[in-house]
Amino acid sequence: MTGIAMSSVKAGLCDPVDISGHRNNTAISAATETKAGAFNVWGNSFAAEYLPAGGSLVHVDGVPFEFPPVCDGPDNIRAAGQFIGVTPGRYDWIHVLAASERRCEDTIELSFADGSVDAEPLRISDFWAAPAWFGEVKAFESLVMHYPHHVQRGVPAMMWAQRVPVTRRAELTGILMPRNVALHVFAVTLQRHGQLA
Amino acid sequence: MTAGVTARTYMIVGAEPEWWYRDLVSCLQATFGTVLARAGVDPLSVLGAGWRFLHLPGDVRSEEFYYPCPADESGQIDLGSALAPHHQLHSRWWQPADENDVWREVRETLADNRLVIAAVDNFHLPFRPAYGDVHAAHLVVVYGLDETRGVVYVSDAMPPAFRGAVPIEEFLRSWGSANPSDVQDAFFSDSQIGRRCLDVRLDAPPAPLTPELLGSYLRTDVEAFTTATSTRTGLAGFDAFAAELVERCRAGDADALRELYPFGWGMQAQASLHGELLRRCGRQWNDPALAGAGRAVEAVAHAWTGLRFTGAHGLEDPRAAAADIAHHATVLRGKYARAVDAVGTTAARL
Repeated sequence: MTGIAMSSVKAGLCDPVDISGHRNNTAISAATETKAGAFNVWGNSFAAEYLPAGGSLVHVDGVPFEFPPVCDGPDNIRAAGQFIGVTPGRYDWIHVLAASERRCEDTIELSFADGSVDAEPLRISDFWAAPAWFGEVKAFESLVMHYPHHVQRGVPAMMWAQRVPVTRRAELTGILMPRNVALHVFAVTLQRHGQLA
Repeated sequence: MTAGVTARTYMIVGAEPEWWYRDLVSCLQATFGTVLARAGVDPLSVLGAGWRFLHLPGDVRSEEFYYPCPADESGQIDLGSALAPHHQLHSRWWQPADENDVWREVRETLADNRLVIAAVDNFHLPFRPAYGDVHAAHLVVVYGLDETRGVVYVSDAMPPAFRGAVPIEEFLRSWGSANPSDVQDAFFSDSQIGRRCLDVRLDAPPAPLTPELLGSYLRTDVEAFTTATSTRTGLAGFDAFAAELVERCRAGDADALRELYPFGWGMQAQASLHGELLRRCGRQWNDPALAGAGRAVEAVAHAWTGLRFTGAHGLEDPRAAAADIAHHATVLRGKYARAVDAVGTTAARL
């Protein structure tokens, strides 16, 4: 099986999750209104012109994500203990588009239909001109950083594609986010249990 | 002597300074790293060799380069020995002795072919993102001075990295800034720059890093982590620091969170460098347990993120942030315990 075919099969197993009800932070701004975004405590934000269109379906490393709204209200979940309900099913991976205010490791809790709960690590690298410390895939890169009063060249803003395993062979029903203001999730996609080859 | 093109031009000999940077370090480690690299020394092997916890109540200053370091008998602060407790790295702060000739010491240092680390206010430096916008105390490396052309040569590894000439007048404004309180930066403003400079010296070349030598470093550090002292050191020191932090938050003391950010940066940076060095050595020496211990130390650095940024975002309402501060302090304490255990186990057989 070729890489493209493999990727296509993987995409066929993936279901973007609707997280619209949980978005509570605006991290993307237009060059004409840089103050509208505040990913971090300094009011920095991603530059919209380097990112996909809001609401578009994007593929990163073969995984489809529903890209959040751009310059149209909150665009990400800043982790504050939200519970993201999912369509119950057997899944192997939770894929996320995410970024962190400094390199960060925390824990998400996976709830299953049988009442069991598993904690799994969510590891996200820094968004501020940083490398993929946890081996993520670079999903998108804003080549400039928006500051509240100007557009800064030479400081890119990074958005990462990371994944979390679902090790339990049971029906996943939801994901509990940690309480960690550093962590931002822009999109979530579940990869169903299945054989790729 | 350096290449003095004229009597008023001073420049270090050879290549321009190397940028040395990691995403969790501050300008403090970055500038020391640049000095070490120029000395032909691998910065990570020196700046990542030691790992301690130390909190000095009342000592934290609102500067990006704050690092806990008790004064010696003469009142001198030796940040070099604090950053690299296992090496002969030393530093001393100095300020121009003559207000009528503030460049004299800089000229002398450059003429001696040595770099100067200078404190600056980002507000006045054209290459910093905060230029003309936000006051913040920062460190840069000075590697040349051309009084004829009216420029200072500055190197800064922190993004957006810069190396080049800055007009003397602008540098002087930055170097001599009052760095007034700035609502846009509660953590690094309100701290007079005062034309401070650091003189950094590596008095002896580091011995080649062997498992035995690293083992001795690790055993010393683990003992420091597990031995209670009269100051806030080690795991007991962390407990005292964390308990006070939570209590102050519950009492609505925003200063507790204002101090947490710069203080935590130093602890976070050191843990990240130490962890990286241990992982690197573990890989080089085919020692997975050592690499794993390094990863455990890095987890400490990563847990500092949750605590520092919960504090930063909670500045306006410390009482509301207290529960999350307590949570992240508990998580961080667990990471410290796990890492000290892993390092101690590994150190015992090195």
